[in-house]
Amino acid sequence: MGGLKRVLAVAANTFRETIRERVLYNLVFFAVLMTLSGLLLNRLSIRQDEKIIKDLGLAAMDVFGTVIAIFIGVGLVSKEIERRSLFPLLAKPLGRDELLVGKAAGLAFTLLVNVAVMSAGLYLTLLLTGRVLDLGLLKAVYGIYLGLVLVLSLALLFSTVTSSAVASVCTVSVVVAGRYSDVIRNMDQVTKGVPSPVTEFLYWLLPNFRNLDFKNAVVYGLPVPFDVVALVTVYAAVYASVVLLLALVAFRRKDFQ
Amino acid sequence: MRGVRKSYRVGHIRQKLRPVLKGLDLTVPRGEVFGCLGPNGAGKTTTLKILVGLLRMDAGEARVLGRPLGDRAWRYRVGYLPENPYLYDYLTAREYLEYVGRLFGMSAEARKRRATELLERVGMSRAADVALRRASKGMLQRVGLAQALVNDPELVILDEPMSGLDPLGRHLIRRLILELKDAGKTVFFSTHILSDAETLCDRVALLRDGQVTAAGRLADILAIDVTHMEVLVSALSVEQVKTIAPELPARNLGERWRLEVPEASVGQVLDKVRSAQGRVLSVLPMRQSLEEFFVREMAPGQAEGAWEG
Repeated sequence: MGGLKRVLAVAANTFRETIRERVLYNLVFFAVLMTLSGLLLNRLSIRQDEKIIKDLGLAAMDVFGTVIAIFIGVGLVSKEIERRSLFPLLAKPLGRDELLVGKAAGLAFTLLVNVAVMSAGLYLTLLLTGRVLDLGLLKAVYGIYLGLVLVLSLALLFSTVTSSAVASVCTVSVVVAGRYSDVIRNMDQVTKGVPSPVTEFLYWLLPNFRNLDFKNAVVYGLPVPFDVVALVTVYAAVYASVVLLLALVAFRRKDFQ
Repeated sequence: MRGVRKSYRVGHIRQKLRPVLKGLDLTVPRGEVFGCLGPNGAGKTTTLKILVGLLRMDAGEARVLGRPLGDRAWRYRVGYLPENPYLYDYLTAREYLEYVGRLFGMSAEARKRRATELLERVGMSRAADVALRRASKGMLQRVGLAQALVNDPELVILDEPMSGLDPLGRHLIRRLILELKDAGKTVFFSTHILSDAETLCDRVALLRDGQVTAAGRLADILAIDVTHMEVLVSALSVEQVKTIAPELPARNLGERWRLEVPEASVGQVLDKVRSAQGRVLSVLPMRQSLEEFFVREMAPGQAEGAWEG
């Protein structure tokens, strides 16, 4: 019980940090983007501008969220190690596992707030421009959030084993590669000399963000069955847990010189 | 700590092990102020970090308040101030202390009360609600010390607590350490500043090259080799002093003279002073200063320039 309280304390403080560090300022950009898109696209046909607003809104949500998850996720641990702000805290009854899980939970909550506010902004834009409030969009938003949790877990893993600069590069690389996992899988068909077991291994190793991407489906009104949503939820939960577990193992073994 | 060894990996591609602690043995008695002294690179910070769990030792055994390091229970009874503490600069001093209190499982009311009390104790009441990013180094050190005391610890471990402080800040930390001692707490601190160690410590340990080279009560350590007495006299001219102590070191202190007299000759010298109508002001055993002791303990090459303060 004490452990859970400490995890919550760290999570709450991490959320407070992201608020005070003005991380959520990106929401202002999002609001401006949505307002402009709503105003400028009024000249297009109704069906077309509705799709563009949805597309733009969901893509902005994905991009802003990913950037936050990478850079704040990396900074959450490596910045603290470099600045040595962890030192006084790790001498307290706070376990290293609790600290890392608390930080992950705090940032996951920040991302949730971020995504929730952006979703509200997207619906507001649709409402103000006289479009239908399509609740199906929430499936895409959910997929985006699951993807952000994966990004966050990767950022935390890299930041526990290397410096913030290297961790940022590694996280960005894996995230980009994960967004093109299908291309990697089919690489042996395009490029000669790449053995298929290697591409197959990379396909399974990298996070498959395409599986979590329902943006096109919801924008074009295609069905997104519940069992698919459940399946990707399990996939994201297992993947993030394994990555977080690796981060915990690395963090537990770390010497703070 | 018994036989504690620790090496750091150095280099990037061809990593080598650089031993920092080479079988360190150290015991800090309860209720005392214990100073861990040594030049840069002697292993002081490494020793403290191993104790609080920031570093893992390669070999040896260590216990804190009688408990093994892996046991979390002692952490509720220990406070730690790292060297040049960096505290979350997006928080105020009060918020930081309340956050630390939360990690100890204190209730909201207890956290608030304790934070107010500690901020007053370290002279930070007026700056309690200022973001730490605006705090000076001295203010950070004060808040750092306050966070080490949130849980009213039995043992306080301080790494270079006087580092970078102005005279007022150093005075405050000294006062706090003495207050902790009066309250029956154990204080274990590392320092470069020998005058602080001399003023505050019941015992000290000298670390050199990852080992303890001397440890014990200050009075015992500094009283080793008491072979001379310091005789303070007045009402004597230069010629009279030269007659009384022709071969003894003598220093003029205005109207007084300080003579360094071998213990066996003290009676003879005092008789001569009285015969010359001089006045004996004091006769004291000559004690080395801590600095003299450590400079002597160091190998010649290491002692020079290795100390501050």
